Amino acid sequence: MKLDTLIKFQNMDRRWIFLGMGIAILLPLLFPITLSFNIDERVQSLYDSVEEVPAGSTVFISADFDPASRPELEPFFRANLHHLLRKDVKFVAATLWPSSPPLVMPIFEEITAEYGKEYGKDWCFLGFKDGKELAIKAIGENIPETFPTDIKGNKIADLAVARSFKQAKDFAMIINVSAGFPGTREYVLQIQGQYDLKIASATTAVSGPDYIPFYKAGQLTGLSAGMPGSAQYEQLVFPDGPREGERLMATQAVNVLNVGHLFIIVLILLGNIAFFVTRRVEEAAP
Amino acid sequence: MSGIELVGAWVSIFLTVCVLSFLYDDNPVYKLAEHVFLGVSIGYGVIEIYFGVFKPNLLDKLMNDELGMLQRSLSIVPLILIIMLFSKVVPKYSWLARIPIAFIVAAYAGVKLTGELNANLMTQVAQSIPNLAEVWEKHGFWDWSADGAGVFSSLFLVLGLAACLLHFYFSAPQNKAMQQISRFGVLTLMLSFGASFGYTVMGRISLAIGRAQEMLGLDRSAEQVAQIHPRTASLICILLVVGYLVAWRRKQGDDYTPGN
Repeated sequence: MKLDTLIKFQNMDRRWIFLGMGIAILLPLLFPITLSFNIDERVQSLYDSVEEVPAGSTVFISADFDPASRPELEPFFRANLHHLLRKDVKFVAATLWPSSPPLVMPIFEEITAEYGKEYGKDWCFLGFKDGKELAIKAIGENIPETFPTDIKGNKIADLAVARSFKQAKDFAMIINVSAGFPGTREYVLQIQGQYDLKIASATTAVSGPDYIPFYKAGQLTGLSAGMPGSAQYEQLVFPDGPREGERLMATQAVNVLNVGHLFIIVLILLGNIAFFVTRRVEEAAP
Repeated sequence: MSGIELVGAWVSIFLTVCVLSFLYDDNPVYKLAEHVFLGVSIGYGVIEIYFGVFKPNLLDKLMNDELGMLQRSLSIVPLILIIMLFSKVVPKYSWLARIPIAFIVAAYAGVKLTGELNANLMTQVAQSIPNLAEVWEKHGFWDWSADGAGVFSSLFLVLGLAACLLHFYFSAPQNKAMQQISRFGVLTLMLSFGASFGYTVMGRISLAIGRAQEMLGLDRSAEQVAQIHPRTASLICILLVVGYLVAWRRKQGDDYTPGN
């Protein structure tokens, strides 16, 4: 490669990189490819901890995500609901994010209807509660006082699935789908240690590295980070692939993600080669 | 699908293309999407907080005749604190706002302190000194199937942590040994930042994939795709936005400076 080309490459308009990345994402979506990936120990542990929940028991789901984190977390959220409901596990859900209810309620309704589950008896959604850490502390101490009514305005005492649960520790486990603050970190800091709770977390890729120490310390029973985590969980929940007419969104996306990463790696390599070659030539010049 | 859902799906695709147009340059189409986003977010937030927090926790309690006089009177306390917060707008009485702010700061400090001490500091410090015999039994020296867990990683963690801490210890003389330890600490920090940055890049690409899936109709059922025609919508929106950008760029002529 000529020196001029390398210098041009170093000063390339960054919009070409955006265009390249766009193509790297669109092409594998239009012409799907399948690349293999392994199941991470943390995701396997999350799956196993849900598997250990006995049929008929109830878990607490804290759906703390918004439309911005939907691509990373919705596939996990859906797969997790399928996992729980086909095991005949009931759930009580709530959220600490104001933009979450319109996003998660249709998913709850769609998937519970698929399994013939009844609202109030097999599941319920308590809606949004403001207060961040204080709300989490309150969930640990007294759920009926924190959520006197559900999202539909029903009194919590009228909901068979929720009325016997006073505190977070009464549930078989807590599943936190967390896109940031308030979320997994706050659940661990505020109530996990105090009540010795079994908490599993699915989080965005950005938050993943921050929560790995919690998993290593046993404060989380499992951890799924970002789209790869969601894809691995999908593989565990649907080992025979998607059902007819459905798609495994994260599995589809993780193949595209691999192509995107390869594109970035190639750019980093080329950028470094160009940098070192031009520097050497410039230093050698009289 | 209802008509409003169909319109919503097309508007969503149009706004996505508008936001992506920022990759070319800051432009009026992007500004439009930005302002719509801000306006909708603020409107949604205000409504959610009013009906989810302000009304049930304050107004309903103040108006509820079933509650005793004492309970109703107690609800006046947070109302007074809220009014005090707004005293900031009158310079003469702005000092009044310090009282509710003091309450907020004190409450948060109390809540955060115990959690941070118990779950973050104590547990994590204990975890940073691993039981090597147990690690050896479980993973050996290096376990590929568990992301490289093992005795090597555990020792690296302890030594790396110690080196990082020493890097920020400024009271010791910077002799050769300290400089080498400090360099190792910096290396460990760079590894940690690199991992975080890698995850961040992955998160951002994931979001782009999510938008691409929606624009191509890959996140919807075949029935919905047949009604929405997301690919047609995307093509039309791209043509509209690109057409506008070309016209906008021409209008600017020689005055155009990229990055404005």
